[in-house]
Amino acid sequence: MARVMLEVRDLTTKYITRYKEDVYAVDHVSLKIEEGKTLGIAGESGCGKSTLALSLMGYYFPPLHYMSGEIIIDGQNITGMKPDDVRKSILGREIAYIPQAAMNALNPTRKVIDFIGDVVRAHDPTWTKKMIYDHARSLFERLGLPAEVLQKYPVELSGGMKQRTVIAVAVTLTPKVLIADEPSSALDVTSQKMVIKMLRDLMESGFIKAMIFITHELPLLYNVADDIMVMYAGQIVESASAKQAVFDPLHPYSKGLMGSIIVPESGLRNVKLVAIPGAPPNLKNPPPGCRFAERCKYVQAECKVTSVPLYEVGYNRAYRCILSETELRRAYEHGE
Amino acid sequence: MKHTLNQVFHSGKFLVGFTILMTVLVIVFVYPLIVRTPPLQIIGQGTFFPPGIYVSTYDAINAPTVYTLNLPDAEARRIANRLTQEDRIAMKEWLVAFGVPEEEIDIDDTAQLLAQWEANYDPNLRLPGMTFARHRYFQRVNASIDGLLSTEGAIIAARNPETGELTEKSIVKQTDFANVNDIANVRILTLGTDNFGRDVTTQLVAAAGVSLLIGLVAGLIATTIGLVLGLMAGYIGGVVDDVIMFVTNLFTVIPTFVLLILISFSIGQDRRGAVTIAIVIGFTSWVWTARAVRSQVFSLRNRDHVNLSKLSGHPLPRIIFADILPYIASYVVMAFILQISSGILAEAGLSILGLGPRTTETPTLGLMMNWAMIYQAHILGKWWAYMPVLLTIALITFSMNLMNTGLDQVFNPALRD
Amino acid sequence: MKGYRRYFLNKLGWFAITFVFAFILNFILPRMMPGDPVAAIVARQAQGISNPTGVQAIYEQYTELFGTDKPMIEQFFIYVRNVLRGDFGFSFSQYPRTVADVISASIWWTLMLQLPAILVGWTLGNMLGALAAYLKGGFDKVLMPSSLFLSSFPPFGMAVILLVVFAVNLKWFPTSGGYAYNLIPSFTPEFMRSMFIHYQLPFWSIVLIAIGGQAIGMRSMSIYELNADYVKFARFMGIKDGRIVAYVFRNAMLPQVTGLALALGTMVGGALIAEIIFSYPGLGTTLLNGVMGQDYPLISASTLIITFMVLTATFILEILYGVIDPRIKATQSD
Repeated sequence: MARVMLEVRDLTTKYITRYKEDVYAVDHVSLKIEEGKTLGIAGESGCGKSTLALSLMGYYFPPLHYMSGEIIIDGQNITGMKPDDVRKSILGREIAYIPQAAMNALNPTRKVIDFIGDVVRAHDPTWTKKMIYDHARSLFERLGLPAEVLQKYPVELSGGMKQRTVIAVAVTLTPKVLIADEPSSALDVTSQKMVIKMLRDLMESGFIKAMIFITHELPLLYNVADDIMVMYAGQIVESASAKQAVFDPLHPYSKGLMGSIIVPESGLRNVKLVAIPGAPPNLKNPPPGCRFAERCKYVQAECKVTSVPLYEVGYNRAYRCILSETELRRAYEHGE
Repeated sequence: MKHTLNQVFHSGKFLVGFTILMTVLVIVFVYPLIVRTPPLQIIGQGTFFPPGIYVSTYDAINAPTVYTLNLPDAEARRIANRLTQEDRIAMKEWLVAFGVPEEEIDIDDTAQLLAQWEANYDPNLRLPGMTFARHRYFQRVNASIDGLLSTEGAIIAARNPETGELTEKSIVKQTDFANVNDIANVRILTLGTDNFGRDVTTQLVAAAGVSLLIGLVAGLIATTIGLVLGLMAGYIGGVVDDVIMFVTNLFTVIPTFVLLILISFSIGQDRRGAVTIAIVIGFTSWVWTARAVRSQVFSLRNRDHVNLSKLSGHPLPRIIFADILPYIASYVVMAFILQISSGILAEAGLSILGLGPRTTETPTLGLMMNWAMIYQAHILGKWWAYMPVLLTIALITFSMNLMNTGLDQVFNPALRD
Repeated sequence: MKGYRRYFLNKLGWFAITFVFAFILNFILPRMMPGDPVAAIVARQAQGISNPTGVQAIYEQYTELFGTDKPMIEQFFIYVRNVLRGDFGFSFSQYPRTVADVISASIWWTLMLQLPAILVGWTLGNMLGALAAYLKGGFDKVLMPSSLFLSSFPPFGMAVILLVVFAVNLKWFPTSGGYAYNLIPSFTPEFMRSMFIHYQLPFWSIVLIAIGGQAIGMRSMSIYELNADYVKFARFMGIKDGRIVAYVFRNAMLPQVTGLALALGTMVGGALIAEIIFSYPGLGTTLLNGVMGQDYPLISASTLIITFMVLTATFILEILYGVIDPRIKATQSD
């Protein structure tokens, strides 16, 4: 078995709203990524996938709060570390994050090189300006970005260039794990391709060891990820290999998400999530039973009262439904 | 719509502001129904009567029933009331000079002070170095204290119209009382009178009303102009936008205040009524609304629902009323509220400069302030002539600002934290 | 650098255009007064001045200055020429002083009072607003409503309150004037001291008003910036909170510079009225005297000077803004 780069056990985090209500946006999530693998996370907006990304960093600030669970990065358990130690030795070094709206992820009034300087010095104040510049320059060259970018302000960069710069900044300290939250959703098609290519190159060259890729664009996920996890209302509802998740989804929610994908790959390109009627439950007081019950086509009386655990079905696969694999498959055949 | 209103009225800030404003409005409308004196009628002969209940002395003497009340502390109160602060300080000075220890004297304790005075004062004693005038002053103080201590009543006399002789009619004893309910003329002046002898409260209520009206008219004009120009610039674009933006930019930098002064002065004192001033203010303060509306419309112009309407061949007014206005309504309402409060402030500023509405018709908050300043109420310590005015202005604008902040928080959720 | 030059020229152009426009307004508005303005003004004026030769002199001077017998366009150029020469004619109310004389005596008082007061108020307001956004909680809950209430006060209201509390009741400061009336303006220590004491109340009343408005704006800006995406990214890259706060405040502060430029006109207007309350010998009081004495030449010259000062200050602020905000240069060079 390959080296496990990131392991998360039973992680639960919550938001505290300004009315002092608790919202459990990540609810007992476990996951494991091996070296060289990319894990995709899919789900509608508001399903908790972005919060999961934030929670994986092990560094919490209001309104997000840690509740329970463990995060182990390359064998190092960071749970219980002091926040300032996490900041200094984990963030950017072991695990890095590319935010959802990367277009605005750079301080607009700071040159790229100065921001890189801030990042480097936050971890090691002994670096000189010259060292930082040389390091940044060689990094940018290696990633195929023009070195002039370093001397520019973010406003002077095009959207695609800005996004690639953000990625370059994120990997400045050669983190092992990279979490990319919708890194390409706001870009035009050409820039999207370049960003995706850049991320793939980073993985293939071993610059980063593992990646979590979050998006609501399924075709993209299918192309990038090795495994896919589907999230709904703060919980994992299905996890499987990319191929199984897309072509043979088990959970009715995954089925709904993937349902519209047409088989020929060329046709996949612009298919986005189809709307599933209804809206996700309010996480301030989630329903006692299955959280998808309200919207599920195959709902049973039992679904609304008993909470459903995640069933491991072997062959690296799990789903959260009271129906068996066979029952589900039969239902889908009839439904179609 | 209903949902939004519901949300708005759940905002604490908005609610507080709204309540204050409504209270002011209710007072403005209800008060004139109770007190019917015209606000600018001069009732007091003299300036700056302090707040209080004014009882007609004449009616009190002629009250139908005279009650005798033997109040134990009546005398002490009377003396305490009549003995001025200046006299008390002088008395203390004398007593200290003639050997009474300073710490034993409390000039606020009338009874003790008088006792000490009685025990120690000797009209023949004179301090070395004391001027003769000062010496006489102390003798006068002593005489008036003796007068205060007298228990005789005051004589009411009538003059015989033929001989001119005075004949005693009655004596008002120190224990005589009249019931206020029996006295025909009692006037409550909660805030006293101003420099011209006019009732400040009545004036203030009327002024608040007029100022609100000025704010409202100015706000309506400014908002309408701003809205129309903003809509045209934002929706039509092109040359229209360029021209409108050029004018808007001009008026953004030229201080409104200066324009107001020039225009008000040019209009001339005789033609400056409250509404005229309001119109002038309105015509000089539309710039911000126009800018805000334009940028909103700009971003709306190419939204799907607007395009759909255009493609469906809907007429322009319909597109504007159905597809654009509802989306910018919140901004326009907020701008309107701000315009009202800044209109009230602008009027006040102009009036202080002497460029306010004509002074003979109606009071405004600014004019009241202006009068108080000219007659130096603030330096003379006549707080009732200006403080309530200031507070009213502040309260009205504060309520509007609160409402605005409340609305802002409802419509821009990022600011809530 | 090219981008900045473009920005600079653009702003310079606007400065020139607005000034010309303001100048024209200053010329036209009083001429829209009904009837013959000169006759009307002099008629009103004649009652005030006991010196008949003075009235006559003013009348002639003013007819010449206004040139009312000539066509509008020619009048305008006469006006331009006179203004360029600094010739605003005689003051009606303070004859035989010239308007230029009256104004040059008061303009320094206004500049010395308002410039520092507005800058100090702006700085303090921004600091408080930033603090409120960052600390939140109790500080914010107290600061916000009080700033809001403070900024609801008309500028002269604050002046009156300070005057009553500190000059009339506590007697810490004098009630009016720019210096003790028994002194002659000079650079003696005694005069300086007197000036300093007279300076305090007008100064702080302007500062307080400025603080209120600025604090509210800065708070909103800071909250907006604190929620910006770059804050989140910087945090997750391990950058310390102190550093991030510095980012945020710098970025929130920048729009406040433009905000100041835009609010300057209103602030100056308010401050002029505060001057009046303290009978401070600046332009505000001069303006009031002009209005009280129906002294048209004085009013016209005062408004022109005030407009010029505000426009210049705005221009300087915009130029400064272009230097300190890199975004300006970048967007202009596209």
